[in-house]
Amino acid sequence: MDAALDRTFRALADPTRRAVVQALARGPASVGDLAKPFEMALPSFLQHLRLLEDSGLVETRKIGRVRTCTLRPEALAAVEGWLDAQRSLWSKRLDQLDNLVLDLKEREEGTP
Amino acid sequence: MSVTPFVFDPRLDLELKREVEVPPRLVWRAWTEPELLMKWFTPAPWRTTACEIDLKPGGRFRTVMEGPNGERNDSTGCLLAVEHERLLVFTDALGPGYRPAGSGFMTASVTLEATETGTLYTAVACHKDEAAKTQHEEMGFHLGWGTALDQLVAVAKGL
Repeated sequence: MDAALDRTFRALADPTRRAVVQALARGPASVGDLAKPFEMALPSFLQHLRLLEDSGLVETRKIGRVRTCTLRPEALAAVEGWLDAQRSLWSKRLDQLDNLVLDLKEREEGTP
Repeated sequence: MSVTPFVFDPRLDLELKREVEVPPRLVWRAWTEPELLMKWFTPAPWRTTACEIDLKPGGRFRTVMEGPNGERNDSTGCLLAVEHERLLVFTDALGPGYRPAGSGFMTASVTLEATETGTLYTAVACHKDEAAKTQHEEMGFHLGWGTALDQLVAVAKGL
């Protein structure tokens, strides 16, 4: 689980790969169509794609003569889960902060 | 008017806005006085048991957090920006005096604004791309991650 999450983060650490993930969020696409917006040689692009496949974020299938890529949302969900945990930590933290400062204020006002 | 100093990445970063009916002065104290910060910085059952804040850019920002099962997380970071009662930015990616720490996973900021009734504050945590999950796990905020499972197994073995 953790090694997988590391791979996912590594895969998402690059702007090209993030753009590919964003494109695939709109629906499956062929390798050719995915590569079009990027000004790089196809081998370089395929390397990015391979990293995305290794991370489990993207699945490619050959249908006839076209390789089609699909986003696997489970891998993204793992990243979101991590972020949710961080959010939960900060929410609890700030709840405690709010209670504390309200308490400080009461003490300031309440001392005759 | 302070602006949060980050380029926000919704994939990795968090932003929490809160309004609380106390003047900025008190919110600032809670963030910058160690004995006050220790009271709120760590959600129960964890506790912040030590804290050092040298309130200037480059100054030390250290927290020691302890968990219910003897876990201990001692993190020394560095303050990056200090604008009295308006902005605090700190990171664990640098040590005191801006010395690179080699690890670290977060830069956090809090921005305070006075409102008619109190303070609107914005806390932002921005994370490294490859999240330092070891730290995150030690802290016990794993919602269903591996460590929780390990603990469960350990408990089950002890039954």
